[in-house]
Amino acid sequence: MSELEFLDRTSAMAIGEGWLAASIAPSSPYGSRDTIVRRRFIGGEEGEAVAQARRIARIAERFDLTEMEALRAALARLPDIAPTFARLVVGDALDDAQALALLRFSDAAIELQRMRADFDDLPPCAGDDVERIRALLERGRVGSNAFYLDDAFDADLRAEREGFEEARARFESARGRLERTVAEALGRDARFDEEFIVMRERLVAPLPPGVRVVREAPTYVLCEIDLDEETRVLLERREEAARRVALAEERLRASLAKRVVASSEGLERTMRRLGEFDVALAAAHWTRRFACRPAEISREGGIDIVEGRWLPLQERLESGGGAFVPSSISWSGAAIVTGPNMGGKSVALRTVGFIALCASMGLPVPAQRARLALPPMIRWLGIGPDEERRGGLLSSFAGEAVRLRDAFAALSPRALLLVDEFARTTTPRESFAILVAALHTARARGAEAIAATHLAGVAAAADARHFAVRGLRGIPEATVGGDIDRMLAVLADCMDYRIEEISEDRRESSDALALASLLGVDDEIVSRARAIVKTIAE
Amino acid sequence: MEVSDLLLDRATAIGARSVAVVGTGKNVGKTVVMRAIYRAALARGWRVGVTSIGRDGEANDFVDALAKPRLRLAAGTLVAGARGALPRSPALEWCESTDVPSASGTISIVRVRTESEVELVGAPTASGLRACVEKLFACGADFVAIDGAIDRVAALREEDAVIVSCGAAASTSIEAIAAEARALVALLSLPRYEATLEALHVEGALTPMRAAELIATGERRAVVVRDATRVTLRGRALLGALERLQIRVERPLRPIAVTVNSVGRAGSVEPKALLRAVRAAVDLPTVDVFAASAA
Repeated sequence: MSELEFLDRTSAMAIGEGWLAASIAPSSPYGSRDTIVRRRFIGGEEGEAVAQARRIARIAERFDLTEMEALRAALARLPDIAPTFARLVVGDALDDAQALALLRFSDAAIELQRMRADFDDLPPCAGDDVERIRALLERGRVGSNAFYLDDAFDADLRAEREGFEEARARFESARGRLERTVAEALGRDARFDEEFIVMRERLVAPLPPGVRVVREAPTYVLCEIDLDEETRVLLERREEAARRVALAEERLRASLAKRVVASSEGLERTMRRLGEFDVALAAAHWTRRFACRPAEISREGGIDIVEGRWLPLQERLESGGGAFVPSSISWSGAAIVTGPNMGGKSVALRTVGFIALCASMGLPVPAQRARLALPPMIRWLGIGPDEERRGGLLSSFAGEAVRLRDAFAALSPRALLLVDEFARTTTPRESFAILVAALHTARARGAEAIAATHLAGVAAAADARHFAVRGLRGIPEATVGGDIDRMLAVLADCMDYRIEEISEDRRESSDALALASLLGVDDEIVSRARAIVKTIAE
Repeated sequence: MEVSDLLLDRATAIGARSVAVVGTGKNVGKTVVMRAIYRAALARGWRVGVTSIGRDGEANDFVDALAKPRLRLAAGTLVAGARGALPRSPALEWCESTDVPSASGTISIVRVRTESEVELVGAPTASGLRACVEKLFACGADFVAIDGAIDRVAALREEDAVIVSCGAAASTSIEAIAAEARALVALLSLPRYEATLEALHVEGALTPMRAAELIATGERRAVVVRDATRVTLRGRALLGALERLQIRVERPLRPIAVTVNSVGRAGSVEPKALLRAVRAAVDLPTVDVFAASAA
């Protein structure tokens, strides 16, 4: 099943799929390549989804957050050896930077294996092949973190390097002799750089033999030592020795590459397991951090959520010192959520969608308890970013109608529809009618639909369970000033976000006027509106 | 005292553990100065790290394909260089692979094990350079020498001491060379903006046209830009603007000395006269590394 079919862009944004993806992002390149995290379980895979969620929950129980963060830090230190490995397999020699990466990879994998202990819910991540690679490269280890193509790897390399050192010493000795001769002739000490200055005012005779002029200035000449025949031969021998060292180094690199490739099967297995390890650990860390639990995955219809939380909002509220109020909702077929503006109706829908998304990804869910089927599709029906993307070519209602058309064209049993104040921009009568009709149709096709609305009587007309946000209590009389954060804080204090099932529409108001007053709408407007409401009621 | 020791002493006197060499143009002797500082630091027994802002130090000039002075590095020297430009032989000790990008691959930190010539291709960005210098220190360098470039002063760090190199590469007029040096030193010496000053903060660059407008309107406030690279005035235009405007920077640099090179590819000038003229134009110690003299 494709990503597009399961969750379109608007729905993904509405329920916080991006937040979830970022929250369970793995630490290492191996985890990022792994596809388990992106896999969606569908109907018929209930057992696999539950097994994966339970495994993640067991990992979250086995390690505390500090331990998991240490493991994740070790994963983050893993160098990405996949490009190196790909090059070695096609016959490249192992270069020294790649050797350092392999050595560090082996160290980190072995350390992770030690930290994993014998906990079977995390895959083993360092077998004999990794140990072999580390042993192979150990002779090049310098200190704890560096690598050098050391003589200890290869007797031939040692011999060539000794030959080079000898050739270099002979050349340096001969050059030193020339420098001393020149220094004596120029009456200066014998410390010469590759190029050196001779001041004209100090020249009492022509430059001595063995000095070559590199360039001239009015007051000085820039010179270098001009090698004699014997020294030139020694220089050639030094360069030849350097070439032999280079060849020996390349032979050794090629030999190391072959030995690494000989362990290719084990290394590939290790990289794959590290990916699984990383993905599972990231999910477990998230699970423990947000106290998530495996859901009961049913093959039957119906959704039952006890104390569910929409984590993107919970995290934001808690970072500001606030608290999220969980919601409990249970229904089969169709349900309605009513309540005041800013009371959490849409959040209740997002919570349901988020929990369904987690369950379909084989993750524990943010709820005290949850039971639901694996949805083949989740759709958010309401005004969303798609309407903005169309650049105003469609009215708000037309945009919603297009989404409704598309959703029902693909609707199948157990699909989840989250209907947020659908058709709010058309007349209340037609809005009521289309909403009730959509809920009836969705239920008839075996889907699960939940709608947030201000319209009265929808639950009864659609034969749907009815949940309501408790709403405002102790509304302050006066506005709290222009600071939006302060207003929201006061609103949060006044609002009872708890959701309860009710048997009939008991509210005649959405507390819109109280909210308008709280948010600082002109007093005259609010007073007149209250008078109008009173007149209509009378 | 060797002139290179004088340069090192100036750097250490202001507490700098790193020196960047910036030229007024190409072929003004920057690499020779870099080499002199490098050798002086080695002679003091320091563990030296070297890097470059972008590409420099190659055997032939990348732009004009003429032979350049070489940078031969002693065993023990640490290098922050692009992986693709570091030699395979003689083998280097690989200490760290970074994610810092460059045109020749990501930057690695290596230690020279056998004396060899290395083409320096370093991080081209300020953040990349900062990361590389910090890693060189972390790997044990006591002192870091940075081969800089005039068009990349944005990458310099406040902690670096800056040496300005000028010479007869583009001009054989002593006055012109001295004026170029004076303008570059003035640019690099722009003082830090102090919050007590009434200020006009310039977003983006202070261009010649913008400066002319401010002069014409008699701007008295401090004209504040982020750093010296945001001032696009050069030469006499810059010097003229500095006389009429209080130009300040949020991120100042620390020039400590100027070096001169009297020989250019186009010709040469009289070394002592050049040394005296540049010294008179800039309020900084001035040395001729080629002639081993100072003013």
